[in-house]
Amino acid sequence: MEISVIGSSQVNVGRVNDIGFCNFSKNLNVKICNLKNNNYSKGFNLGENLSFVLPSRFPIGCCVKASASAHNQAAVVSEKSPNFTRTKHNDGVKLFVGLPLDTVSNCNTINHARAIAAGLKALKLLGVDGVELPVWWGIAENEAMGKYNWTGYLAIVEMVQKLDLKLHISLCFHASKESKISLPQWVSRIGESEQSIYFTDRSGQQYKDCLSLAVDDVPVLDGKTPLEVYKEFCDNFKSSFSPFMGSTITGISVGLGPDGELRYPSHLNSTRKNIHHGAGEFQCYDKNMLNNLKHHAETHGNPLWGLGGPHDAPGYDESPISRGFFTENGGSWETPYGDFFLSWYSSQLIHHGDRVLSLANSTFKDAPITLSGKIPLMPSWYKTRSHPSELTTGFYNTVNRDGYDAIAEIFSRNSCKIILPGLDLSDEDQPNKSRSSPESLLAQITSSCMKHGVEMSGQNSLISGGSKGFEQVKKNLLGENAIIDLFMHQRMGAYFFSPEHFPSFTQFVRGLNQPVQSLDDLPVGEEDNAENRPAMNLHMQAA
Amino acid sequence: MSTITIDTLFHHRRRHGHRQIHRSSLTPITKFQLISKAPQPFHLICAQTPNTRYFQPLKALGSAIVETSESSIITFSETFQLKRTEKVEGKIAISLESGKNEDCWQLTVGCSLPGNWILHWGVNYVGNVGSEWVQPPPDMRPPGSIPVKDYAIETPLERTSASPEGEAFYEVMIDFDTKSSIAAINFVLKDEETGNWYQHRGRDFKVPLIDYLQDDGNVVGAKKRSGAWKGALREISNIFLKPAAEPKGENIRDPGLRKKSLQVFYKEHSVVKEIVANNSVSVSVTQCLEKAKNVLYIETDLPGDVVVHWGVCRDESKNWEIPGEPYPPETNIFKDKALRTLLKQKINGHGSSGSFTLDEGFLGFVFVLKLNENSWLNCNGRDFYIPFSSSVAPAKHSGLTPEGKEEHKELDTLVISGNALGSNEEVSANTDEIINDIRNLLSDISSEKSRKTKSREAHKRILLEIEMLAAEAYSIFRSSMPTYIETDLQEDEGLEPSVRISSGTGSGFEILCQGFNWESHKSGKWYMELHEKASKLSSLGFSVIWLPPPTASVSPEGYMPTDLYNLNSRYGNIDQLKVLVTRLHEVGIRVLGDVVLNHRCAQHQNQNGVWNIFGGRLNWDERAVVADDPHFQGRGNKSSGDNFHAAPNIDHSQEFVRKDIKEWLRWLREEIGYDGWRLDFVRGFWGGYVKDYLDSSEPYFAVGEYWDSLSYTYGEMDHNQDAHKQRIIDWINATNGTAGAFDVTTKGILHSVLERCEYWRLSDEKGQPPGVVGWWPSRAVTFIENHDTGSTQGHWRFPGGKEMQGYAYILTHPGTPSVFYDHIFSDYQSQISELISVRKRNKINCRSKVEIMMAERDVYAAMINEKIAMKIGPGHYEPSNGPQNWSLAVEGNDYKVWEASSK
Repeated sequence: MEISVIGSSQVNVGRVNDIGFCNFSKNLNVKICNLKNNNYSKGFNLGENLSFVLPSRFPIGCCVKASASAHNQAAVVSEKSPNFTRTKHNDGVKLFVGLPLDTVSNCNTINHARAIAAGLKALKLLGVDGVELPVWWGIAENEAMGKYNWTGYLAIVEMVQKLDLKLHISLCFHASKESKISLPQWVSRIGESEQSIYFTDRSGQQYKDCLSLAVDDVPVLDGKTPLEVYKEFCDNFKSSFSPFMGSTITGISVGLGPDGELRYPSHLNSTRKNIHHGAGEFQCYDKNMLNNLKHHAETHGNPLWGLGGPHDAPGYDESPISRGFFTENGGSWETPYGDFFLSWYSSQLIHHGDRVLSLANSTFKDAPITLSGKIPLMPSWYKTRSHPSELTTGFYNTVNRDGYDAIAEIFSRNSCKIILPGLDLSDEDQPNKSRSSPESLLAQITSSCMKHGVEMSGQNSLISGGSKGFEQVKKNLLGENAIIDLFMHQRMGAYFFSPEHFPSFTQFVRGLNQPVQSLDDLPVGEEDNAENRPAMNLHMQAA
Repeated sequence: MSTITIDTLFHHRRRHGHRQIHRSSLTPITKFQLISKAPQPFHLICAQTPNTRYFQPLKALGSAIVETSESSIITFSETFQLKRTEKVEGKIAISLESGKNEDCWQLTVGCSLPGNWILHWGVNYVGNVGSEWVQPPPDMRPPGSIPVKDYAIETPLERTSASPEGEAFYEVMIDFDTKSSIAAINFVLKDEETGNWYQHRGRDFKVPLIDYLQDDGNVVGAKKRSGAWKGALREISNIFLKPAAEPKGENIRDPGLRKKSLQVFYKEHSVVKEIVANNSVSVSVTQCLEKAKNVLYIETDLPGDVVVHWGVCRDESKNWEIPGEPYPPETNIFKDKALRTLLKQKINGHGSSGSFTLDEGFLGFVFVLKLNENSWLNCNGRDFYIPFSSSVAPAKHSGLTPEGKEEHKELDTLVISGNALGSNEEVSANTDEIINDIRNLLSDISSEKSRKTKSREAHKRILLEIEMLAAEAYSIFRSSMPTYIETDLQEDEGLEPSVRISSGTGSGFEILCQGFNWESHKSGKWYMELHEKASKLSSLGFSVIWLPPPTASVSPEGYMPTDLYNLNSRYGNIDQLKVLVTRLHEVGIRVLGDVVLNHRCAQHQNQNGVWNIFGGRLNWDERAVVADDPHFQGRGNKSSGDNFHAAPNIDHSQEFVRKDIKEWLRWLREEIGYDGWRLDFVRGFWGGYVKDYLDSSEPYFAVGEYWDSLSYTYGEMDHNQDAHKQRIIDWINATNGTAGAFDVTTKGILHSVLERCEYWRLSDEKGQPPGVVGWWPSRAVTFIENHDTGSTQGHWRFPGGKEMQGYAYILTHPGTPSVFYDHIFSDYQSQISELISVRKRNKINCRSKVEIMMAERDVYAAMINEKIAMKIGPGHYEPSNGPQNWSLAVEGNDYKVWEASSK
């Protein structure tokens, strides 16, 4: 801008700046619109409003519209551009959709960017609040410790920002086999020589998709402890993304274990499809865990209890309640030994969770974002007395004991929100023999959270839950006791946009926004095509 | 950017002796800099319009103005450019007269309107009448002619003074030799100035030079529909020059031309051109501090009476309100909602002006200008908004809000030709617009009942947009994750019960017969002929027959439909059709109607003489025509697919169109008894609409013709035809699997295989059949020939003599095979019949599993469902006798099929 003000003492220079606004005039281009006599009458039975709609896809249409309003000569003029004010979702539930796990490729570029761009627009139009983006340790800090590369992630964040969507970041300190994302190369290299950094089961099998919680404070990573490395990762993330914090990025969750969840990998590497056969196994057989257990037993005065996990725990494929440790009545779990072991096993997990959440909280506490952590929903065998699935996963929750109270407490202490998956699971659809009850478990966790004042976000577990799954989610979100204020639907990808899925998602979103409105006036995308296909029980790509 | 000259400032000072703030708008600049994609000329008032013009009249306005003299501030001053289109009528004159001698005649084409006129023309020679244009011989081309591609010439019209009215007249003369074999001259006029094309009733002007049509009463019909694949202007030919009022002009020739010898004639056609007129309106606001009044002054150079239709507003909502009196002279209250003030004509007659005195307390002044009952002027689609207060600078001022960004585009090409109507808009741009305009409408929709009707339309539009975006995202995700797709599809296939009926597959065991060829219309009684063959077709094993398009059509083959409810065609009348359908049902064959939904030929012209007004029961107008084909001046939306250039393409995004089509399809189902559809040219519109139609008409079976070309590298077909296949699959997907599609990929690959002995091509990189049939078998309708590719058209004929290898392939493989009529009633009949019975006996269906045993240079062999084995090609293959005991079932030239019988 070039302003020359010459020789005028009376001109208030301060206000001359306002001249800048003159610029505005260049955008005013007034044109005539010949509103023709709309003689489309010959047998035309068009709805009146049609003449408004026809041209409206094009900018030119706006002209026609406005003229038409003027032609009707009225203050209706103001109606033609109603101020679309944002109506809050009922009960304030925000809706996010997860981006593909492999959104950012191993070489830090955006995978299928065009699809994501189109997808984001579709979501925006649909009224979705934001998206969730997994940020992988194995991608951002892949090459060497402390060498961060955020380029791919920054590009995505910008894309999201441009569309004015919110973003929830999941910091993933684990690996994902299905999307071929591993731990950082340098960590894997360390793991080759130092096997004990991984969770290990009774038979010596290892879970290499995240580090064992037993090494949290052991300097196994080139002289640093994993917690230190996580902390630096968080710090670097925070500084690299500071321009977006609070504006685009509104939430961050920190990875707490396998699939990002606070748990033991009790099913090790078995695909979750068989999850109902057994209850999983205790994962306390890596060197550090065993040392820890031994030490704990000795302190406890029962050194013999510290030699290993329960000898009578069933294997992965065995029915947990038929014999041994978890037997319904008189199982070892109810003995003093059982209590000793389970207390220790679960306290290790809680302690781990506390430390990770605490480091995340210290990093992000001054950032205008919501911090959260994810816990698993292990509903199978919930209807038994011993809750074996939860026990092997690290939640000492039985008929006699509330295992989630302590969990909620650490989240509360670190001002963290809990992310809970499985909102789409209903008791009805659980296989009978697994004695599963997702609804009761959800209720229990919810009440623990309420007690400790912990807020909750929800996720779905099955990617193909179909309309029934959505119904369940809706019930959980909009029900009387619902405290969940954010739902992250997992996850964008081919299936998400497929004709089998997308229409029911659309309907779900609309239902979430306007639960009472009848659907009769909305012809498009109405049909519910997602038949419930039990055989296609694909599991969510958990992050 | 903006410069305030010393003159201006002094000028202000002189007038008011007080500080002056000159501002055009209160909106922060940055916003507009971000938004404005195409900067437009910057009209700063003080630079363009001397401010003196504002203030001179102020004096004359009496007391209100005088009051302002001491302490007033100009708070707003702005000139708005007004672009206005004026219609100018003129004529196009065409004359044919004898020239220097008997043999040398002259065609003159003239136009009385100013413009940069170009004659775009070509000729037809005797013998190829009714087909495409060709370039005239060089000696016929006037000087200055430029060849366009290989079929047309462009010759500029010269300005002449020879016009009788003494006005500018433009004309061009073409001399030609009557002894030449030129049969007709075809042309359209183009105005280079505007880029508009002028046609005769939406078609080319055609001047026949000889009477070549004695035995062909229907020139238009002789046009090859297939030409659409080449798609060009030349397809839109074949209309006789006729006075406009002829009711069935397309088929009736001018009586004057019936004679063998050439007739002199002179014809005039009226033509309307829109000319852009530039005017402006200047608005200034003077704030009188002492009297707490704002004085607004409007001045314009628009000719004639100008009425300001105005109101004031108190807040950002820009709700119109009527201020208290007094009003300026010549003011009426209009329906308690606005005021109308006639501006006073200036003494010199050039424009008018008016001044409005308003109390303070209003935030702004809103107005539109009214020129006459039908002409309104607004500010880029919004009201003019003139802010009063200078103390606040809210972001949304002055008619333009950030959402307005799309409206900066030129609006002045509204009428003449559709070519400017959004044709450059990308889907994504459209999306941006929607996002900006109507965010969160979804949640709004229920909030206010009054808005409901309005937002419902917008709502639909959004949902449509969402669906299209989702479809786009889906197809990319799919193609970038091939492994996932495969499992997805396989699971999908595996889960479907084998006899589930769906419109995409029928029962899954269908065998299709194409029940006509390109000549079938000739006899005029095809329905009756087929009636005789019904039982034969049934005994051959066909379960579905595809009948020719039944509607009245410009072309005899039926693919240029006019009145959809008129089912009297060259194939027979509606009653014969009903009899045929009943007969086919008796013998257990279901009937597919060939429905042409992409395009439709208009029966009437619009006011510009373009053929885009339809007749018959579905009397749509140009709003039913897509906007992005300039030839038909559609006023609908942009096409959701490719355009077929020979006829107006239907805009399926219009709800009334869809409603009518659905009704029509249901009518066909009920009235005629059709069981399903063969959908013509589905490339032309979005598959989602097809789904809509199929959901509504609930066909037993439906198949779409999605035909585009395969990938070739240096003339050699690529082994990998995934992209081609993907496009077909995407279409099927868009229909939600409610329709199958012709497996053009498989046909293309079979061509290469058989023509070049490259049987290895029949296994793709993953060891699967390379066509659609390998990817989504249940939705693939395999074929080797149809009325376009073969028959008397032969656009893409299957390698001759090798048809049976093709049938040995498609009749043993999954997918739904379709057999062409010509092949059924040929020497191949018995072999085809045997292959069909092997297929039926072994219950091969559209989802059967293929295991490719060999795919080598000269032989391809496969086992299907482990029940039959087959090979094609000269090479050797024998199935090895494992658990199955193979016995030869059918054998022919270079193919063998074996059946398994359990040991």
